[in-house]
Amino acid sequence: MTGHASPFSEALKHAVLIIGALIVILPFYVMVSYSLKAPHEIETNTGGFFGAQEQMVDEYCVKLGNAREDCLETPAIFNYTQAFKKAPLLRYLANGVIVTASIFLIQALVALPCAYALAKLKFWGRDMVFGMVLVCLLIPVHAIALPLYIMLAKLGLTNTYASLVVPWTISVFGIFLMRQFFKTVPDDLIDAARMDGMNEFSIVWKVMLPTAIPALLAFAIFSVVAHWNDYFWPRVVITGDRDLYTPPLGLREFRGGSDGSDWGAMMATAMIIVTPLIVAFLMAQKRFIEGITLTGMK
Amino acid sequence: MAVDVAASSALPVAVQPARRRALAPASLAGYAFVAPAILLMLVILVAPVLIAAALSFTDYSLGNPGFDWVGTDNYEKMFSRSTYTKMLTASATYVLVVVPASIGLGLGAALLINSLKRFGDFYKTIYFLPVMAALLAMAIVWEFSLHPTVGIVNQTLESGCGTFLEQISDWYAAGCARNFPLWFGDRDYAIWTICFIGIWQGFGFNMVLYLAGLTGVPRELYQAAAIDGADSAWDRFRLVTWPMLGPTTVFVLTITTIRSFQVFDTVEAITGGGPSKTTYVMMFAIYEKAIKHNLIGIGAAITVVFLAFVLFLTFLQRWLVERRVHYT
Repeated sequence: MTGHASPFSEALKHAVLIIGALIVILPFYVMVSYSLKAPHEIETNTGGFFGAQEQMVDEYCVKLGNAREDCLETPAIFNYTQAFKKAPLLRYLANGVIVTASIFLIQALVALPCAYALAKLKFWGRDMVFGMVLVCLLIPVHAIALPLYIMLAKLGLTNTYASLVVPWTISVFGIFLMRQFFKTVPDDLIDAARMDGMNEFSIVWKVMLPTAIPALLAFAIFSVVAHWNDYFWPRVVITGDRDLYTPPLGLREFRGGSDGSDWGAMMATAMIIVTPLIVAFLMAQKRFIEGITLTGMK
Repeated sequence: MAVDVAASSALPVAVQPARRRALAPASLAGYAFVAPAILLMLVILVAPVLIAAALSFTDYSLGNPGFDWVGTDNYEKMFSRSTYTKMLTASATYVLVVVPASIGLGLGAALLINSLKRFGDFYKTIYFLPVMAALLAMAIVWEFSLHPTVGIVNQTLESGCGTFLEQISDWYAAGCARNFPLWFGDRDYAIWTICFIGIWQGFGFNMVLYLAGLTGVPRELYQAAAIDGADSAWDRFRLVTWPMLGPTTVFVLTITTIRSFQVFDTVEAITGGGPSKTTYVMMFAIYEKAIKHNLIGIGAAITVVFLAFVLFLTFLQRWLVERRVHYT
C-alpha cells in the first residue's frame, strides 16, 4: 500500500495469485478442451488442449446401418452437433430466454411504479408499505419453494411457463433498489412534468424510467444472471414436460441419461449454456460486477 | 377524509400537505401503483411462509383430500431421526467450512490484488468467472474432472507417483500404492469436495465486495497509523484495514451464510445426498422428501427451521451493524 513493495514481494504475490487463478480456471479448461476432443482422447487424457482432431467413426451411426466411411466425423464438430441432436437444446435455450426475459420485464413492470410511489408520492400508509417491502426482503424465495410448489400444484400450474415465472414476478429487492434511486431524483423534475399536464402514469414511464436506466440495467444483469443460471426452481416445478426445460435442466437430463460415451457432447452443451453470460461479462465487466454485487448496496 | 376539492389544487406548498392531499390524484396513483406489488408480496412471499408454518404441524400430502394435525411430530422427527440429524450435520458442515473459507480467500485475494502495481484486473476477472457460470454446468464439469479414473485431477496426481511427492506426503504415497480418492463416492471426502466447489464458486463474489470496501479506506489513516508506529503490513491490516472493512465483513458474512444454507445444485447433480447421507443438505432434503416423495409435513418443518436460521442471521447482522461496526 505504501512505498516499500519490493520486486520480490511483488513476484511472490503474483505467484500466489497465479496458483489461485489456475485452480479457478481448471474446470473451464476441462470444459473447453473436452468439448473439442474425441472420446478416446478424453478417456486416456491425450491429445493436449485441442485434441488431434483426427477423423473418428461414430459407432451409433454405424449401428443404424450406415457404411463406416459415411460415419466419419471430426471430434470438435461432432461434439457440438451432437449437443443439438441428442436433446432439443435450441428449444431449451429459447425457453431460457423466454423465462429470464419475462421475469425481468414483469419485475420491472411491478417494481418501477411501486418504487416511484414509495419514493415520491404521498399517501396514507406509504410507510407501512415500505415496511412490508423491508420485511419481505428477509424471505429468500428458494427457502419457501415448498409452499409455492404446493400452491402452484393446487392451481394445476406445475409444468407450465407460468410456474417458472410467477414466483419471481415480485422482486422486493428491485422495489427497494429503485426506490432508493428515485429518492435521489429531484422533485422539480416531477413537478415540471405535472405542470405540463402529464398524469402520474406517464411520469413513471416517460420521466422516471429514462432517469433510472443505469440502475435498471444493473438490476437487469442481476436478475438475468440469477434466473438463467437457476437450476433449483425449474427442477421443482418442471417434472415431466421436456418442452419446458430450461438450459440447466436440459444439461442435467443429458447427464442423467448418459452412459459415459458422450462426455464430449455434454461438455459442448455446458459450453453453450455458460458462454453467453461469460462473453457478456467479459465485454462489460464493470457493469456486470456492479449488477451482481448490487446486493452490496443495502 | 373527504376534504374539500380545493385542497387538491394547492400544489407543492400546501399548508398541511400530508392530510389535505389525501385524495389528490397523486395519492390515488400512489395506491394504484403499490397495489400490484402488495398483492404479489402477500400471495408469493407472505402466504407461503404462513402455509409452511401451518403444514409443518400436519401430515399433509398432495392428492390427499384431508390431513391430520400431528402437533410437533415433524419437528421431533427432525431432531431425533438419523436421516435428519445427518441432514443438519451436512448443512452445518457445509456452512461452517464454506463461509469462513470463501470469506478468507475473498479477503486475501482482494488485499493481494489491491496491493499489486499491475495486472490486478486480470486476476479479478478470472476469480469472478465462477460467479457468472451456471453452477449446475460447472458442477458437472467438476464431477468429470474429479472422476476417479478418467478425471484430470486423479490422472495428474497419478503422474506424480514415483517422484519426491511420495516421500514428503503419506497421503500421496497411500494414493499411489492403492488409488487416489473417489472424491464424491467416498463418504470421507464427499462433503469436503462439495464444500470445495462451493468455495470455488463463491469467493470471487466476496473478493469483489471487499475490493469495493477497500476503495473506501482513506489513505490518510495508513499515514496516521505509520506515525503512530504501525510499520509492518500486519499492523496496518490489524489497525486500519480490518476495522475499516467491518461493515463489508458483516454484509459478506450474512449473504454468504444465507447462500451456503441454500446449496442445492452440486448436491442434486453429483452426489444425490450420498454417500450414506453425508451430503444430505437442507435444500436437497426439502426437495427429496417433500417434492419427490410427497412428505409435505416434514418438508414444511425443514422449511420453517431453514427460515428461522435465515431470519436469525439477518437480525444478527442488523444488530451488529447498529452496534458500531462502522468506524467512520
